[in-house]
Amino acid sequence: MTCREAIAKLAEYLDAELTPEVLQEIDAHLEICAPCRAYVATYRKTTELVAKVLRVELPEDVKARLRAFLVGHIAHTK
Amino acid sequence: MDDLSLLKCLRAGDSSALEVLMGRYAARVYRLAQGITRSASDAEEVVQDVFMTIYRKGDSFEGRSALGSWIYRVTINAALNRRRGKRQEVETSIEENLPAYVEDGHRAGDRTYVLADWSQDPEAALLSEETRGLLNRAIDSLRDDYRAVLVLRDVEDLPNAEIAETIGESVASVKSRVHRARMALREQLTRHLGPRA
Repeated sequence: MTCREAIAKLAEYLDAELTPEVLQEIDAHLEICAPCRAYVATYRKTTELVAKVLRVELPEDVKARLRAFLVGHIAHTK
Repeated sequence: MDDLSLLKCLRAGDSSALEVLMGRYAARVYRLAQGITRSASDAEEVVQDVFMTIYRKGDSFEGRSALGSWIYRVTINAALNRRRGKRQEVETSIEENLPAYVEDGHRAGDRTYVLADWSQDPEAALLSEETRGLLNRAIDSLRDDYRAVLVLRDVEDLPNAEIAETIGESVASVKSRVHRARMALREQLTRHLGPRA
């Protein structure tokens, strides 16, 4: 297996969606390929960082404005 | 109370049903909207649009799929509409940020670069203002549809099959987009965080 083939299957590798045969091929490649080991580690860390950066909370003032707008609209259309 | 019953109560003008639906979905809608529009004010307007749609058209929801999927679909459409005309501002070709290979299929590039592993760097450095800024700019440079699937997969933790059903595309297409987006972001982080001198 080449780096290109291993990296192409990386998301499925991390999601444990591969057949045992392909999984074994990737594990064998990672055993001998330091660049791909670094790639897997940094790819996995990237997903964690992206989740942290994009996990924004709904601000309380936005929630309050939304509630007021919708309650007003519902009352108006009753 | 289940979602369908809540929709009926909301349609009948019961504002307590609105409160429960907001508790279940408003934060998720806001996150997805902000992930796509990259703007807090646009995200707020999208949330308002989405809940108005839930109120007005909730009775057309037939319950064949989960309400959450329907709401995500409405959110993506509303956010993409708001983005219309704003695209291409910072978008760059994702190809520039995908890994490069030599002919035999091994990684191309300087040895110190392909060996760079910053994954064990302290969290404080990985989430510093500078790195967050870089990551946010990298996220901005993705296409809107890439950001949408990235939020659904990596923030909302939805299975690929559910994302595919939500956006009306194949599972293979969703997987490919998520993977390419992650690779592009990883590449930009690696240029910034490694290799060490």
